[in-house]
Amino acid sequence: MSTYVYGIIDAERELPDGLAGVGDPPNPVRALRAGGLAAVVSDCPEQLRPKRRDLLAHQHVLAEAGADGAVLPLRFGSLSADDDAVLAVLTDHAEHYRSQLGELDGRVEYNVKAAHREDDVLRLVVSENDEIRALNEANRAAGGGSHQDKLRLGEMVAGAVRAREEQDAKILRDALGSAADRQAPGPESAGWLLNLSFLMGRDTAAPFVESVEELRRAHPHVDLQVTGPLPPYSFVRPAPEHVS
Amino acid sequence: MTVVPAQQQGGSGGGSSGLYDVLELILDRGLVIDAFVRVSLVGIEILKIDVRVVVASVDTYLRFAEACNRLDLESGPRKDPGLPDLVGKMTESGAKGKSKGALSGAAETLSEAFKQGQDRAGGEEREAEPARKSTSRRTSTRRKEESE
Repeated sequence: MSTYVYGIIDAERELPDGLAGVGDPPNPVRALRAGGLAAVVSDCPEQLRPKRRDLLAHQHVLAEAGADGAVLPLRFGSLSADDDAVLAVLTDHAEHYRSQLGELDGRVEYNVKAAHREDDVLRLVVSENDEIRALNEANRAAGGGSHQDKLRLGEMVAGAVRAREEQDAKILRDALGSAADRQAPGPESAGWLLNLSFLMGRDTAAPFVESVEELRRAHPHVDLQVTGPLPPYSFVRPAPEHVS
Repeated sequence: MTVVPAQQQGGSGGGSSGLYDVLELILDRGLVIDAFVRVSLVGIEILKIDVRVVVASVDTYLRFAEACNRLDLESGPRKDPGLPDLVGKMTESGAKGKSKGALSGAAETLSEAFKQGQDRAGGEEREAEPARKSTSRRTSTRRKEESE
């Protein structure tokens, strides 16, 4: 029976009773203590797959484990051969993980994603660029314009929108970066004009969220999504031996 | 600690929308410990979406040209080229349309792909509807679907 590992907390901390882990029915979550640390674990179900239920369980366990103290979240799906192997990892790298728990204590991650609202950004680039506006009007007058006319307009619009993406990303990065201790780029595959995670003290989260709200008001063509507080997924570092 | 979108977003709701917003973090971030193995993510490979916000292609150009052609430029005050501050008013007014086009479709794509991933993973949990309600086009979205 392999052991599913959710995260690492200080050994002094207790987990809430009845915490439900991955699996169906959910496996009970327990703590394995060594080196002044506690690994938050459960038995791993056979054939664990990344299903909604299990992703939610992973997230929920980490949220609970981090509710009143620091937690080092592991990536989804981390399995150990058995409990002893988990204890060995804690013992071998106790200093590294303890120092990270210290750094991250009282801190939370907020993830911000931004994308353009299409009609709004198009309206913006058409109104701001005389050449685009003129070409658009000419195409309209010609019932849409020829294939070449459309391509020419579309290429100019695409270029203007791309420039606007860079411009807006910089505005957001500059405005939000100052409110956070650290920042880390989100995974790049999702296609946002901005996808950034910020680390900040729990008590500075409110001003941060307020500054996002101000940006929303100032840039209504930008769709801004903020998620948090989260366990510091983007700000944990592997033990030095594990750097690949 | 309950994870919720820090702000209510216009119209988007759903109790578990937070999951879609953090999915990529759960799967792509977090501590990796070499001594542990990671569970196979077969069935979720579809989440590796390759999206460019604006793709430089003929299709994109034609789509933008047509979008501009049908764009309601009258929904805000007419732009006077000499008065740039009017632009702000115009976009504010325009934002009331709450339109979400292809450019902002990534979250929906993610949640949709997630649902498809589940379906592939044995057809379980079909109650997992995406929390996003928008049904916008996303012709600029290129999805790289990998077979299992």
